[in-house]
Amino acid sequence: MDFSSTISASGLIQQFLIGLSRSTILFIVSSGLSLVLGVLRIPNVAHGSLYMLGAFLCYSIATLVGAGSTGFWVGLALAPFCVAFVSLVVERALFSRLYDREHLMLLLFTFALMLLCRDAVKMIWGSEYRSLAPPEALQGSLSAFGMMFPKYNLFLLSLGPVVAIGLWFLTHKTKIGKIARAAAVDRDMVGAVGINVSWVFASVFVIGCFLAGLGGALVAPTQNINQGMDHTLIMEAFLIVIIGGLGNVWGALLGALIFGLTDSMGILVWPQFSIVFPYAVVVIALIFRPKGLLKATW
Amino acid sequence: MKKGVIALLFVCLFAIAGIWSGVVYAAEEIKVGIIDTYSGPPSSYALDVLDGFKLAMNKINAGGGILGKRLSYVTRDDKFKVDLGLTSAKELIMRENVNLLVGTINSAVSLAVSDLAKKENIPFIVTYGKSSNITGAKGHKFVFSMNENTEMIGKAAAIGLAKRPFVKYWIAGDDYEYGHAVADAVWNHLKKIKPDVQLMGQSWWKVGEPDFTPYITSILSAKPDAVIVATGGAGCIPFLKAAKNTGFNEKIPIYMHTATELSTLRPLGLDAPEGVIGTANYYFYYPETPENKAFVDEFRKAYDRYPSFGSLIGWCTASFIAEAYKKAGKVDAEQFAAALTGLTINSPIGNLTVGQFDNQLMLPMFMGVTKKVPGYDFLIASDIVTIPPNELITTAEEIRKAREQK
Repeated sequence: MDFSSTISASGLIQQFLIGLSRSTILFIVSSGLSLVLGVLRIPNVAHGSLYMLGAFLCYSIATLVGAGSTGFWVGLALAPFCVAFVSLVVERALFSRLYDREHLMLLLFTFALMLLCRDAVKMIWGSEYRSLAPPEALQGSLSAFGMMFPKYNLFLLSLGPVVAIGLWFLTHKTKIGKIARAAAVDRDMVGAVGINVSWVFASVFVIGCFLAGLGGALVAPTQNINQGMDHTLIMEAFLIVIIGGLGNVWGALLGALIFGLTDSMGILVWPQFSIVFPYAVVVIALIFRPKGLLKATW
Repeated sequence: MKKGVIALLFVCLFAIAGIWSGVVYAAEEIKVGIIDTYSGPPSSYALDVLDGFKLAMNKINAGGGILGKRLSYVTRDDKFKVDLGLTSAKELIMRENVNLLVGTINSAVSLAVSDLAKKENIPFIVTYGKSSNITGAKGHKFVFSMNENTEMIGKAAAIGLAKRPFVKYWIAGDDYEYGHAVADAVWNHLKKIKPDVQLMGQSWWKVGEPDFTPYITSILSAKPDAVIVATGGAGCIPFLKAAKNTGFNEKIPIYMHTATELSTLRPLGLDAPEGVIGTANYYFYYPETPENKAFVDEFRKAYDRYPSFGSLIGWCTASFIAEAYKKAGKVDAEQFAAALTGLTINSPIGNLTVGQFDNQLMLPMFMGVTKKVPGYDFLIASDIVTIPPNELITTAEEIRKAREQK
């Protein structure tokens, strides 16, 4: 037993905020996964690959536009749309032809898509590690009250609520969102009232993939961009979706908060065995709420 | 009809001639089977090794080959997996009839192939696997190592760190063999040289951990004098990135074995943190000898990039193969292995010798500190201190003990 003996209040707050900023990324990516899962009823295994694609595209666009801050901002703005466009093409050209097939076929398709994405990334970008700097305004860290916060993490932190409100607005206030929610509950009925379900599916799939791309573009300056980054994330995203409740976007928010915070707090309290904490919480959550913390749409 | 028979005869003749010339051709070359990870993140290291190997090989062949034979190679991708590495090794021995095996970056694969090499009586030269067991506890007469092992890293780091005023340390690293092996080696040797050092705590993260910020902030609140970071390969880059973003390097000195290596610093560009202490076996800018400059120029001309430590490993592997066969006088596995043991060649970083007792290449280690230097679009090591190989080698006694304990 090697508990860290000197945990100060400021250390605790600092760790809490870092955990929150990590949760933001997890939320952005897993909400997209959850959205697709809720409406299309497909666990999109390729979600992590699209996240990776987002990071690589952000890197390429940023270096193409030129070094310095503008490059990154342009990359961040364009990369998610590029990912969304790729997913639209894939959905219309291939995926939409499979909707009336059995479920396993759809799952296999997303699995194949994951493998294709991985090889495409390897062919286009090669196997070297890539790294992108955060824009100048967000480099370094702010210190206050003896605490220290990396500016980029604070930026991520501020984006979380924006994405959450945007998603709420999309699903509750727009027509497409309302139809999508209806389709999640009863897709035959939605089709029966004369709505083109196929296009609803396409838009939800594209929005979900957009979120994956956004997540990837946002993490690009904090880690190295490489071929392995997809499967580390997809595991965590699936866990979050499962503890939150399948297909429930707010469940994804709750799951991401739990996962991100237990992770960072575990590191502070017991760094030697911190790997266990988030997974232990997942197990506990599933023992008490086997169907997830919030109501699943399945 | 007659035309048909003649045609058939010709076909047979060509076929026989083809097979015959194939046999002759095979006997006229020394074939090296290279198993390494050519897919996924480790492949950038494997490709550096391969390019270094090719550079030396082309030079050897241009100079008439080895004992009148051409040096050639075939590669297999082990995908960082033990079973795949082992089947590739078997296939290379049985179907490709390779004269010797070379590889790989994965220590577990290296150990498995080494075991096979022992059974099949075929020499195996390890390029990038860093486990000290390869030439230590599990060493044998057919296995050789061309790169530093975790014991050598530990000794070098301990010698360098003991000279600095740090007392309270924190250890953080990848939760797998390499991470723990490096951390243990550094810590055990450091405690021997400087008994008053204290270990405040440890953090272990999973391999492939994407974001190190929470780990760094938790170490910052513990306030150690210095941190020993035992992360390898892909982990080095995001760690250094997070260190820069949090200002970690300005608050607490960091030691990380590969921190000053080109493979780590090149992808980070000018965004790498300054002042990080690192050890490495090769810098293309140090030592500033004509031999090193010539090697760098040749490598840049051929591949349009600076050579890394991996490139030196590849170059040394091919050069040692040539010299050992020349010394043995014929293509024979037993005599090749015997000739390679204790052999010395002149390399870009001076004379290098394969160890007498353990077949471990005795490399010097350079400890440096990361720094921005005009003229490079990435950071390089400064204040370089050379730790000579004789301070790093494992003694015959230690080897004997390790092999008995097994």
